[in-house]
Amino acid sequence: MIEAIQFASFSEFLDMGGYGFNVWSVYGLFTVFVAANLISPVMKRKRIVRDLKRRAVVNEQQSN
Amino acid sequence: MNWTWFHKLGSPKWFYELTSKWLPWLIGAMVIFLAVGVVWALLYIPPDYQQSYTTRILVIHVAVAGTSLAFFPLMAVAGTITLVWRMKLADMVAKNAAPLGAWFSFITLATGSLWGSVMWGTWWEWSDARLVSMLFQFFLLVGVVALRSALEDNDTAARACALLSIVGCINVVIIKYSVEWWNVLHQPSSPLSMSGESANGPEFWVPTVVMIVAVYLFFAVSLILATRNEILQRERKAAWVQELVSKA
Amino acid sequence: MSQAASPSTGHAFLATLKRDLVIAYKRKNDMLNPFMFFLIVATLFPIGITPDPERLGEISAGVLWISALLASLLAMDNLYRSDYEDGSLEQLLLCPYPLYYLVLAKNLAHWLVSGLPVVLVSPLIAYMLNLPQEAYLTLFLTLLMGTPVLSLLGSIGVALTVGLGSRGLILAVITLPMSVPVLIAGTLAVQQTLNGAPLLAYLAIMGAMLLTALTLAPLASAAALRISVN
Repeated sequence: MIEAIQFASFSEFLDMGGYGFNVWSVYGLFTVFVAANLISPVMKRKRIVRDLKRRAVVNEQQSN
Repeated sequence: MNWTWFHKLGSPKWFYELTSKWLPWLIGAMVIFLAVGVVWALLYIPPDYQQSYTTRILVIHVAVAGTSLAFFPLMAVAGTITLVWRMKLADMVAKNAAPLGAWFSFITLATGSLWGSVMWGTWWEWSDARLVSMLFQFFLLVGVVALRSALEDNDTAARACALLSIVGCINVVIIKYSVEWWNVLHQPSSPLSMSGESANGPEFWVPTVVMIVAVYLFFAVSLILATRNEILQRERKAAWVQELVSKA
Repeated sequence: MSQAASPSTGHAFLATLKRDLVIAYKRKNDMLNPFMFFLIVATLFPIGITPDPERLGEISAGVLWISALLASLLAMDNLYRSDYEDGSLEQLLLCPYPLYYLVLAKNLAHWLVSGLPVVLVSPLIAYMLNLPQEAYLTLFLTLLMGTPVLSLLGSIGVALTVGLGSRGLILAVITLPMSVPVLIAGTLAVQQTLNGAPLLAYLAIMGAMLLTALTLAPLASAAALRISVN
């Protein structure tokens, strides 16, 4: 089932039997897609927490 | 029957605490499956006698395409829960599922194009029913996102999008069948009948299954992260959120 | 109004239908615009694509269907808007009859004034676009059965967006993808009759779509109206 590594050299690995552009585009796109949809919620969370903290401080000052 | 679990599920706080416990495991599993899947696919799949190294594209494409079909059913179920039980959590999930689903559909189309451009010799092919119905699924998901952003009142938007998701879910199925029918009648002898079928040995499908699990985990993690943000925003007045924020 | 004298659902259906028809009759421009729109869009295709009769004949069925689809979309805006603005939609939701029938009556009235004229004029446009003669009957019958489906589907989108200020584009984004099956069935029917296929099979499929839309779409529209009008 698991075969040996299919490539003898790194340039062969990049070439993908002549389909390098398509194969690497797909993997590039997939990486961007996964990264974007993980990083953006994390960034948003930071923004929300910062915003909520600021509000809490303002509220405290007002109540004092 | 005991329904407390169902009502608990409706509590954003309960969901937030539960996912806090689960997230590290989910993220760990996702990273492992993604890494194994990508490395296996890129390095170890032997070249197919017909498709050469392009089967590496299919590993990604099949996984993303399969997951993208889950969005409308998910949104329709969440929509039903929103309309019938007015459960806030269901809408928070549905709201974030729509744009993520549009992403998934788009990536499915793009990876399919990149595969088709070498195997079919064309970037776009109207005579393939899967491409065309995926395009319309993308349009319908964009419609749900557009409706959500157009309606300002949260509650109206939630219920309107819930209804549109249910209608859309039924529609996706009808569109799929009508496009297939359309194709059969337009292309009596399709030169494209050769699809990914030649690559089906275990050396191909095992990494594909690994990748499918990886993409599902990614889908779950991304949706949970976005839903947790939604909870923080909508429940910002709740004591537990303020306590949580002050500790963060 | 006493309980005993309250009219039946059938009466309410007819009253709504009649009211909408009278209003449409008084605003003749609203009636005429979709019709003119259909004529103009259909005549733009020969100018935009080709005056060659043979090539026009090939695309004419598609041109007619897409023009009818766009005309129906354009006309949809009138369906609930004025009623929403003057508050009579709220009254409609409050009245004790099943909303399904009232929505159905409004859809029917709307189709009679905006969809039917398009269907009736379609043979003329088909002639101008050089549609082969064998396909006239198919085109006419499928349009007759298909345009109500377009209206019924569009009604859901309009009901969902009735509260929005500007909604022309969002309405198109929501409803156009939903019309794809009707478009496919309509244009396929025409092409297949030209290939000698029996007309009845396509009419059956169109009829199935119409019946499904008649039973389900007003329910969705009614639910959407209840959501939009609080």
